[in-house]
This record gives sequence, C-alpha cells and structure tokens, in this order.
Amino acid sequence: MFQRFELMYNEQVMRGDPSEKAQFEYAWCLVRSKYVEDMKHGVALLEDLFKKASDDDSRRDYLYYLAVGYTRIKEYPDALKYAKALLKIEPGNVQGIQLKNYINDKMKKEGILGMAIVGGAALAIGGLVGLGVALSKK
Amino acid sequence: MAAGPYNYSYIFKYIIIGDMGVGKSCLLHQFTEKKFMADCPHTIGVEFGTRIIEVSGQKIKLQIWDTAGQERFRAVTRSYYRGAAGALMVYDITRRSTYNHLSSWLTDARNLTNPNTVIFLIGNKSDLEAQRDVTYEEAKQFADENGKSIFRLSGENVEDAFLDTAKKIYQNIQDGSLDLNAAESGVQHKPATPRGPISTDQAPQKEGCSC
Repeated sequence: MFQRFELMYNEQVMRGDPSEKAQFEYAWCLVRSKYVEDMKHGVALLEDLFKKASDDDSRRDYLYYLAVGYTRIKEYPDALKYAKALLKIEPGNVQGIQLKNYINDKMKKEGILGMAIVGGAALAIGGLVGLGVALSKK
Repeated sequence: MAAGPYNYSYIFKYIIIGDMGVGKSCLLHQFTEKKFMADCPHTIGVEFGTRIIEVSGQKIKLQIWDTAGQERFRAVTRSYYRGAAGALMVYDITRRSTYNHLSSWLTDARNLTNPNTVIFLIGNKSDLEAQRDVTYEEAKQFADENGKSIFRLSGENVEDAFLDTAKKIYQNIQDGSLDLNAAESGVQHKPATPRGPISTDQAPQKEGCSC
C-alpha cells in the first residue's frame, strides 16, 4: 500500500501540483512507517497540507495527524501544541482529548519535559510556522 | 490495558462502516461507554474502542474500529477492514442517500474482509420515525438479497446489534465454518493460562503499519 501511495503522489508531483488527497494519503503512510526519516517526511507533508487547508474540518484532521506524527518522532512539545490547536477548533473532540492525554503521559513517563523545552525553542521555529499562519488567519 | 491474566477467552475484531453522519461513532460510544452522545464530531480516520461481553458463558473482548465516513479518509479506513470478524454497516433511515450507498460499502467490505466476516446492516435513528426516508421492508429486502441480517436501531437496542453479531461469529466458530487458524479470521482464541504480558493489548493510537 505504501508504494502505491508513494507512486501516486510522486506521479502527481512530476506532473505538477499533487492533489490534496494524494498528498494526505502518502503523508499518512509515512507517519505510520517504522522509520523516523519517513515519519519526519510525513510530518513535513502534513504541515504543507495544513498551510494550504481551506476549511476547519480539514485543518482539524491535519492537526490531529501532525500531533500523531510528532508523538511518533517523540517531539512531544510540538505534538502537544498541535493537539491543543485541534482542541481549540473542537473542544469536545474525544480523539483529540485522548491524544492529548496520551502525549502528556508519554512526556511524564519519559521524563524529558525539561529537556524538551530547551530543545523545543529551536524546533518551534520549524514546527510553529504552520500553526502561526493558521492562527493569524483567525 | 491490564497485562495480567486474560479475563476473556476470545477477541473479536469489528469494524463500523457507512456514510458520514449516520451515527457510527455514537453507536461506538454508546456501546463502550454507555454514554449517549447526541452530536459526535466527525471521526478523524479511525477511532478505537473495546468492551468485554458474554456469549454462551464465554467472555469475549470486542475490539471495535470505528471508521470515518468522509471520502477523504477512504484509503485510511480501508486498511482497517482486513481481518475483521464482524462488520456493522450503518445507514441513516432519515437520509436515503446513506442507504443508496450501502451497495458500495458492501462491495468494499466483501473485497477487503474474508468470506466468513459477519456483516450486519443497521438502520440507525429509528427513533426519528416521522422523518423516515427508507422503509424497513425495503432495507430488509436488500439485506435478504445480500444474505445479511438487518437491524432496526435506535437508542435502546444498540447493545443487541453488537451482541447479535458476536453470537453469529461465535456460532460460526462452534459449527466450524470459521477457522480460527486462518490468518485473517478476525478472532483470537486466548489460552486459559496466560503466558505473560507479551501479546496483550496493542496501544490503539499506535497501530502497526499495514501499508
């Protein structure tokens, strides 16, 4: 399946502008990969999708998968930021709440909270660009 | 999430499929948490829930994958069909379009699950009789033609839909038509003596990659 989505996406990139659907499906596959490089690539594609998203529904979906992606690459502060941004759009979203709790749990368990805040300053430049754009539109 | 001894002897995998807004997630929440949610937000990709039930004196753990109805997620949700023992195919009796799409949902389910997967058709929102757009007889005929069981569903009998599907699966195990050793039967038999916490629950958020 991975290859099918990769192929579809790459073909569309070659031809010009890839469709939102192809990009999302490929990004989703990458985020689920077992390789960190794939996950990072997936997150980058999702950030791009998020920037281009035209409605709250899709924005919400991309925020969710961005939070999942950052959780998988263990960049929890960013993951948390995206989960919170999702909950800002839809405060009662059960999936969002569960994900946020999961991230908080992970942060506590892995005890990297302090470290991550230091590292987070650098990461935030990359991670927050998308979010900043979205929030400034509101 | 307990890693201790199993308190159930089987695991059945379920999927819930159907158009957007027919109330799939509401069914899941009502069944797993006994909470009625009047207005569930649209599911993002898939949502996961579990509950242990009892059929013929056997404790069975249902692992339920509730899928998003939005077209955007079709590729995502399709990857969860494989290895489902039961599928609840839901439409909304007040919206004919959701009923008209059943044949494509059924095609998907047939192509992506195994021949033994028990598929139940669920006409949701039967409490909104005044706005009914699809008659029971019509849906019953569709179900009969396709060899499926149909359910009239409203708030009260959500339990039955999940339980009857489990009964049917259990019956298939008993009469030997469902082979537990088949790779994608959707059923796991748990030994009476636990072998330790290695193969217990997988975290629902981190499902293995099936790409």
